[in-house]
Amino acid sequence: MEWLLRSDFDTLTTIALWSIAAVLATTVILFVYTVGLRVATISEGQRRRQFLNRWRDVFAMSMLGWASMKHRAIPRIRRSDRIDLLEEWNRARSMVDGAAVDHLIELAKRAGIPELALRLFESRRIQSRILAVQTIGHLRLAAQRDAILELLDHDNTALSITAASALIDIDPDFGIELIVPMINPRRDWPKTRVSVLLRQAGSARISEPMYRAIRVEDDPGKTYLLQFARLMESEILDALVVDLLRESADPGVLNAALKLVSGFAGVPRIAALTQHDAWFVRMQAAKVLGRVGQKEHLSLLESLLDDREWWVRYRAAQAITALPFVGPNDLRKLQSRQKDRYAVDILQQSFAEAGLA
Amino acid sequence: MTLQEFVLAGQWIFLAYFVGINLGYLLQNVVAAHGIRRYLQTAEQYEAENVFSALDIPISVVVPAYNESASIIQSVRAMLQLEYPQYELIVVNDGSSDDTLEKLIDAFDMREFPEAYRARVECAPVQGVYRSTRISNLRVVDKENGGSKADAANAGINMCRYPLVCVVDADSVLQPDSLRRVVRPFLEDPTTVAVGGTVRIANGCTVKQGFLEKIGLPSNFLALVQVVEYLRAFLFGRMGWSPINGLLIISGAFGLFHKETLVEAGGYNPKAVGEDMELVLRLHRLMKAKQRPYRITFVPDPVCWTDAPENLRDLKGQRVRWQHGLGQALMLNKSLITNPRGGAVTWVAIPFYMIFELFGPIIEVAGYVFIILCGIMGWLAWPEALIFLGLAIGLGVMLSTSAIMLEELSFHMYPRFKQLALLYFIAIVENFGFRQLTAIWRFQGLVRWLRGTEHKWEAITRSASLAETRQIQLKK
Repeated sequence: MEWLLRSDFDTLTTIALWSIAAVLATTVILFVYTVGLRVATISEGQRRRQFLNRWRDVFAMSMLGWASMKHRAIPRIRRSDRIDLLEEWNRARSMVDGAAVDHLIELAKRAGIPELALRLFESRRIQSRILAVQTIGHLRLAAQRDAILELLDHDNTALSITAASALIDIDPDFGIELIVPMINPRRDWPKTRVSVLLRQAGSARISEPMYRAIRVEDDPGKTYLLQFARLMESEILDALVVDLLRESADPGVLNAALKLVSGFAGVPRIAALTQHDAWFVRMQAAKVLGRVGQKEHLSLLESLLDDREWWVRYRAAQAITALPFVGPNDLRKLQSRQKDRYAVDILQQSFAEAGLA
Repeated sequence: MTLQEFVLAGQWIFLAYFVGINLGYLLQNVVAAHGIRRYLQTAEQYEAENVFSALDIPISVVVPAYNESASIIQSVRAMLQLEYPQYELIVVNDGSSDDTLEKLIDAFDMREFPEAYRARVECAPVQGVYRSTRISNLRVVDKENGGSKADAANAGINMCRYPLVCVVDADSVLQPDSLRRVVRPFLEDPTTVAVGGTVRIANGCTVKQGFLEKIGLPSNFLALVQVVEYLRAFLFGRMGWSPINGLLIISGAFGLFHKETLVEAGGYNPKAVGEDMELVLRLHRLMKAKQRPYRITFVPDPVCWTDAPENLRDLKGQRVRWQHGLGQALMLNKSLITNPRGGAVTWVAIPFYMIFELFGPIIEVAGYVFIILCGIMGWLAWPEALIFLGLAIGLGVMLSTSAIMLEELSFHMYPRFKQLALLYFIAIVENFGFRQLTAIWRFQGLVRWLRGTEHKWEAITRSASLAETRQIQLKK
């Protein structure tokens, strides 16, 4: 290896030599880091298992009835257990309702969870703050309402939606009035979480704010919010849908509103929408007519069987098959008078699906 | 040009290539590590809060099958148990000469059904559509053999009813929550048009009822090397391109697409050798031509496990095909190369792929020949040559070590220390022979593409672990 120690290498080779040293050092660091990660994962798993063994019963007993827990000592909380404790407590808290919530909050107070959460709230790490906000919400710490409020506009999606959820936990009436108008501007909020949040507040509480928000939004905003409208109270939703179908000319809004039709109100307007320029509006209208259509709508649906769009033909055929006043003989007659190949094919498929083939 | 000048010029070309490719990979590594860290931070939160609701986007899963008689029932049974609230399964029997269709009909009580078929993307004629009388979300399309998986996938796409289409290889083993994981980018960003996930090597794993029961490493050396290769390719190869929207390939074994965009692009190209890459390039081309904002994203989660070739013949066939497909896919979408508004795809990803992935084998093979020639002629300065060789090997080991670290940081699928040691061992020994061999195969693939040789599909031998386990299950 003497040649390696020569001093007369050109610049390029010298750089290459130093690069080898750097690459070797990096590889060793990566290797040590990876092995370290493995060791840490194993010991973390063991520690967590021990933690869960100590706390599982405590959480379960608390949820079932606080009385038996009142005079029982709770396990000692080690420094390394703190995050696990908050996570597990939040998990347990998310699963329960009613009196069990109060029992868990009592347990949290005994375990010093509020103090831990408040300390974590000051952390600069986003993950820690998310956990803290979730815990504060679950603890219903009203004194922290304004601090949580400030986080609603935070750039971090997870933190802002967790703050929204916490606000509803702390003060649902106040929270929902603020949050509903934010749903459209905050499209980064995952829809599933928005849906959970609205469900958490309850349909009685969200109906009015949702109605107002949908009314004042522009067409894309209306379309977006209507995805969550199913969670509203049915009377308010029906009124909203009828209004939107009557007033709106936007295909997106009409499509979203048609998906929410549940009653017989506004049927003439729905029938008219089977002739709309946008195929998805025609399709939805045909689908709704299958539920609420009358005899006079049969010819309208029949006219859609040779529509240029497959989905319109399919929904029209399904709607015709579903109409309660059209019997098997009527359906056969209807099929035999079709001249268009697409109409015949789609009726055949629809009949087969309905077990009439 | 004198011989000396020629040798000197050659040295500089090899050096520039060497620096370029390694800098590129190192950069990808950094981007990928950052991306995985961010992804994992949000994934935990997402997992904790995720609940199925009416807002989840329904998915059509398309499974092209050609002569899959031995494994199709097990695969379909597994795919019917995926954890997702609303999805349909469309199996496409691509004119199998074995009893794939008959087995499906028997196992799932399929009946021929008068489906009003609509041909939105091109494919060979459909002979019949079957619906299961027991399982409402299962349909089978029987079609004439179109000569390619792409053709079969197109027939499946024509049958899809849901807004997202997931095309899956019939012999792939899926993670039960794979759909839930790959759908996430579609929920978070409505401009998403395609998502790919990490594909892992199934050799050495235990598969039961079509699901992975135990993760293991293969005993076959070639398969073992491919485990490390796949870690590199997916964890930093793909993850490195995704944040800049420069992903050029979504594995054909598992990909999720926005159906209307897929149809607008014309579906898969049945004539493409690398139909998966060609499709992604065409999606980029379409979206850029239409000037619509879009995302083609990669999720690092392991979603699918696939069989890797265990003998040199199959491996060579695969690598030659990949290289051929790469050249063809880039040429079929050459307008993307010259599109001044092509963004990261045109300015970063395609140049990298063209220089280092497509034409790289020329430089690599020429490099080997050059060194051997120089050695024979006595022109080689051995100390310097060994230093550069050492650096090349060192960088190779470092990149593999980094991929193993990313795996440990994220999903740690190989939990035993022995497995970790084996992966490190492979990270070192793959540099002696295997890499050179793949460079030669890739060179052959490149020549095949440049000569316009027609590609012929060859039957691939299944790995014992996967095929036998499945057959045992069937016999029981």
